[in-house]
Amino acid sequence: MPNHLNDLRPDFTKRKISCGSIQAYRFDATLADELAARHITKREAVDLLEDMLIVREFEEMIVKLRSGAYPACAGFEYRGPTHVSIGQEACSVGACSGIAAEDYITSTHRGHGDSVAKGCVAIRQMNAAALRARVPEATGTPEEIYEAALEDHIFRTAAELFGKEDGYCKGRGGSMHIADFSVGHLGANAIVGGGVPIATGAAWACRYLRNGRVAVSFAGDGAYSNGVVLESLNWAAQHQFTNMLAKAHSYGLPMIFAIQNNHYGMTGRADNEVAGVEFLARRAAGFDDRNMHAEVVNGMDVLAVREAMQRAAALCREGRGPCLLELSTYRYYGHSLSDPRNEYRTKDEEAAWKEVDPIDHYTREIVAARALTRKGVEALVEKVQARNARAAARAAKALEPKPADVLKYLYSDLTSAVVPAEFQKVEIVREKPVITRTNGQLTYRDALKEALLEEMLRDNRVVVYGEDVAEYGGAFKVTKGLLEAFGRERVFNSPISEAAICSTAVGSAMLGLRPVIELMYMDFALMSGDAIGNQAAKWHYMSGAKAEIAMVIRASVGGGKGYGGQHSQTLESVFAHIPGLYVVYPATPRDAKGLLKTAIRDNNPILFVESQLLYMTKGEVPEDPEFTIPLGLAEVKREGKDLSFIVWGPAMQDALKAADELAKDGVEAEVVDLRSLIPLDMETVLRSVRKTGKVVVGSQCVTTGSFMGEIIANIQHDAFDALDAPIQRVGARDTIAPQSHVLESAFLPNVGDFVAAARKIL
Amino acid sequence: MSQPILMPKLGQSDEVAPIVKWRKRIGEAVNKGDILFEIETEKAVLEVESFYAGNLIKIVVPAGQAAPVNAIVAFLGKPGEKAPDVAAAPASAAATASPGVEHNSGGRHGGRPSRVENKDSALPSGGSGSVPTVAAPLAASAVPSKPGRLLISPRARALANTSCIDPSGIAGSGPDGRIVEKDVRAHLDARGYDKLRISPAAKALAAQQKVDILAVTGTGEGGRIMTEDIQRAMAERPKPLTLMRQTIARRLTQSVVTSPHFYVTVSVDMGDLLKLRQEAKTRGSDYSVTDFILEACIMTLQEVPEVNSSTDGQSVRWHASVHLGLATSRPDGLVVPVIRDAQKLTLVELHQAAKALAARARDGKLLPEEMSGSTFTVSNMGMLNVENFTAIINPGESAILAVSSTLPTPVARDGNVVVRPIMKITLASDHRLVDGAMAARFVNAIKTKLEDVSLWTRSI
Ligand SMILES: Cc1ncc(C[n+]2csc(CCOP(=O)(O)OP(=O)(O)O)c2C)c(N)n1
Ligand SMILES: [Mg+2]
Repeated sequence: MPNHLNDLRPDFTKRKISCGSIQAYRFDATLADELAARHITKREAVDLLEDMLIVREFEEMIVKLRSGAYPACAGFEYRGPTHVSIGQEACSVGACSGIAAEDYITSTHRGHGDSVAKGCVAIRQMNAAALRARVPEATGTPEEIYEAALEDHIFRTAAELFGKEDGYCKGRGGSMHIADFSVGHLGANAIVGGGVPIATGAAWACRYLRNGRVAVSFAGDGAYSNGVVLESLNWAAQHQFTNMLAKAHSYGLPMIFAIQNNHYGMTGRADNEVAGVEFLARRAAGFDDRNMHAEVVNGMDVLAVREAMQRAAALCREGRGPCLLELSTYRYYGHSLSDPRNEYRTKDEEAAWKEVDPIDHYTREIVAARALTRKGVEALVEKVQARNARAAARAAKALEPKPADVLKYLYSDLTSAVVPAEFQKVEIVREKPVITRTNGQLTYRDALKEALLEEMLRDNRVVVYGEDVAEYGGAFKVTKGLLEAFGRERVFNSPISEAAICSTAVGSAMLGLRPVIELMYMDFALMSGDAIGNQAAKWHYMSGAKAEIAMVIRASVGGGKGYGGQHSQTLESVFAHIPGLYVVYPATPRDAKGLLKTAIRDNNPILFVESQLLYMTKGEVPEDPEFTIPLGLAEVKREGKDLSFIVWGPAMQDALKAADELAKDGVEAEVVDLRSLIPLDMETVLRSVRKTGKVVVGSQCVTTGSFMGEIIANIQHDAFDALDAPIQRVGARDTIAPQSHVLESAFLPNVGDFVAAARKIL
Repeated sequence: MSQPILMPKLGQSDEVAPIVKWRKRIGEAVNKGDILFEIETEKAVLEVESFYAGNLIKIVVPAGQAAPVNAIVAFLGKPGEKAPDVAAAPASAAATASPGVEHNSGGRHGGRPSRVENKDSALPSGGSGSVPTVAAPLAASAVPSKPGRLLISPRARALANTSCIDPSGIAGSGPDGRIVEKDVRAHLDARGYDKLRISPAAKALAAQQKVDILAVTGTGEGGRIMTEDIQRAMAERPKPLTLMRQTIARRLTQSVVTSPHFYVTVSVDMGDLLKLRQEAKTRGSDYSVTDFILEACIMTLQEVPEVNSSTDGQSVRWHASVHLGLATSRPDGLVVPVIRDAQKLTLVELHQAAKALAARARDGKLLPEEMSGSTFTVSNMGMLNVENFTAIINPGESAILAVSSTLPTPVARDGNVVVRPIMKITLASDHRLVDGAMAARFVNAIKTKLEDVSLWTRSI
């Protein structure tokens, strides 16, 4: 069966395109109705109230802490963000109670409610063993252990906000980055919209893993103007997940976009200022022929939210996702406590929304439905207040992280050395690409392909996607043949959405997959600045090492081909500056294979840089599928005693030629190939410097501010006395890559530049 | 609260003084009045007493370093107390002038906060308002002509250091004439470094003391360089002059250059005076020969005021009082304590004053004001067995009297040769103020007084 070939014919028939319709506020049942219809049990009904009370009490604690008026934490100074969600409790609690405990959420800067609710709902569904695992010290009746687990949840949440070692993320994340992977909470996100593509990636992983789970992204109205959110909507709705390309596994992404529309993005009014639609739910129509089953829901009614969420989750589990729910709600306080609100809205507006307060409204319902008496409600309020206060007091007194541990959790030490049995089974859908050696040699391109092929054969968690990587095999043909071998589930074309490509990889990595994604040109990595720099790089650390972000971003450098300023950049220095990322750049076919394999097996997010100038270079490459090269190990590519070239990328090849040139004068130049910038092997560099005393550092990076300066700084710091001459730097000129061949030659460093730099100090 | 100890103001001209020795160790208890440290001024080494009691908790300016007047040099405090974090003040004028470093704190200049202002917050409240931040070792200010920085690569310097050679003479072949590794190697080859034989101990010492072993002649077997050879080389190395020697050098050079000296010598027969002194001694009055010479000078200076004068080259100033300087040698140099208003003293008082000053000078305890303002100086080498010598005029004076040893000398008396105790005195005069005749009159007036015992019998 050949690959799918499109056969699209022109069709300009006159017609009207229907955008369908979107339902709003369809839920009109009371709690009494729901109880009668057995849509909810009494216990669940009370739990909903309790969870909303816990959220509100928690948020009010933040408000009070700001003025020192929370007696349980007297004397404690809270110094984090104050994006409280008071008024929005029905959204958090209703939504989390409408999905299963093991489903996933991502949340926002205003995410305390989501975080508290997800944990509470999960705990309420846990069996005795799971509860005991959460609070191993607790003793007593099952009810008491359950109580202890709830209190522990509040404690860990508060401790995280307070920056304590006992927090969910060991105090590394805090209010805006809190996550609890054990209950499917994949993280709040301080980047507006940042969590949406992560949830989308998680949903894709659920689809791939066929685990029957659903991912929900909570995000505000403001986020729905953000590019990566719009990219996510498109991503989730791709036809290829459901049409003939999906073959037997026609299954829409189990993804629910939950818009927490509180009608303000900071102060920007969604309804009549910074958006062009009255209802954001309309966005769904722009991305999905089925409008993502979009609905507008009364977000002040916990039952309405819960009911809508249950239906959406059910649709997702049937493979009919994605879904979109716009939850109309209101934030009583300002964007943060430093926002007095009076500059952009009226007091009357606020009063009107408080009239429909979710807790007051639901309290009336619960009393009317006789699920609780007034007294019962009062007792519940007191219980919640007391429990929250105990947890908060403990959190305030909990241990601070040790200053010496400031770097702890930056990188993961784990690898996929052992592939779980369930992922060792790999299906070849048609045929493996044949990679042939001539005289034992492979091109750099085929070496990369061989690495991908071997790693995909070894571990079913390795998936490959990016623009045009499927039938076409990528713009540079590195992935050619992988679709035929592994099918579209593991090798698929992505929309031209670099931000979403990288951020969805973060989400699927959070679920244990090992995505290898392709950025056609490294220049496009700047489109994914947030995904790479704020999400991929940071989640391992910000989660206190709860998340492993095992992903490889392959980025191809186009410099040297006359493609001009936006297709020629060598940007590894930019990314080497961001802690949490590894940055690797092989210069030979052998290194390309060995390093890519190691990168795929490593649990850290890795920017793997390739050069289009090198794709066709040939060299010996071991056939052994267990051949790997450790990251952070430089290699002496040529030995010499008179001068050291410290180089990486295509500059390494130039340095080798320069060394040949210098050899004619009897100069023995050594060439050290860094191979990876992060981790950095200074030991090998210093050994060479101590031997030769003369150093030329070179790369194709634009010189100013590049990683070459970092190498030089390290050399002078650690081997000053070994230096016999000022260190020379050979990089690209400090300008924009020009299209003109003449100018580009002047722009990029070449063999002559290396020779000249060397001669200057010989 | 710790108590800062400041560098005292010592004399007219000293703005910076080196601490030569700490007499208390860190942690040691200090009573009020205890000697804390010694400083070297242009004229002497002085002891500095503590005004406070406490424990010495921090030394800011260690021995061997200099600090400006009023700079914090140490802190007293309670035992175990942590001293404020204050850096030593720069001692040299050059450091004061370096851009971006503002020593007189208080104002901001050009909106750019100085390093000192930044540091000010670390000052104890009792401290001086101005504590600059850069420490300069004594040597930096003491060696006046510092050679320009040697252009040498770190690697070449490291090689020179490990080879124990001085690279400063090597011609550099690198960019801008920088000495690079290859130049050092060529130098080593050319100088036969390979064949050099040196004992490991000698090499270690040379490395530690930075002695150039290529410049050392080995005295061991087969020319092997031994520890003693290195020690000899160390001893021969130029050392910075002490402040005192620098002062001597400056002042005496100034004198020789500006005052045209000429010399007049007479021989004094000391026979009768020595006898008189001996008689007085048996009676219990212990005068020294010097006492008589000084008294004779004082009397003569009053008779010949031209010699008790000074000039700036434009005008001359006669001094009504005789402030008599006594050139006194110390192991490390020369000091000139001054007997003020010497004309008012009796011989007994003069004797006591001279004796006390001499003792204090020997012990290095003269105060600055005891070493300035002389109008005429006597340099007495009588105890040093010299036949005759000339002295250099103390700047600001018109003459100096050099007193030699009293030696048995054959002289003609009444046509016969007899042996008499003869002492030669030589007056060096500034010809701008004193002419030959006056100088002759002056020395002969002294001679006459010393030979005329009747003059002295009354006073002793
Ligand atoms: C990418 C990005 N841009 C801007 C901000 C600053 N900021 C934080 S929250 C916020 C408003 C977000 O509005 P919305 O998505 O509606 O969430 P809400 O605050 O209403 O819960 C802004 C502009 C940010 N954190 N991230
Ligand atoms: Mg909003």
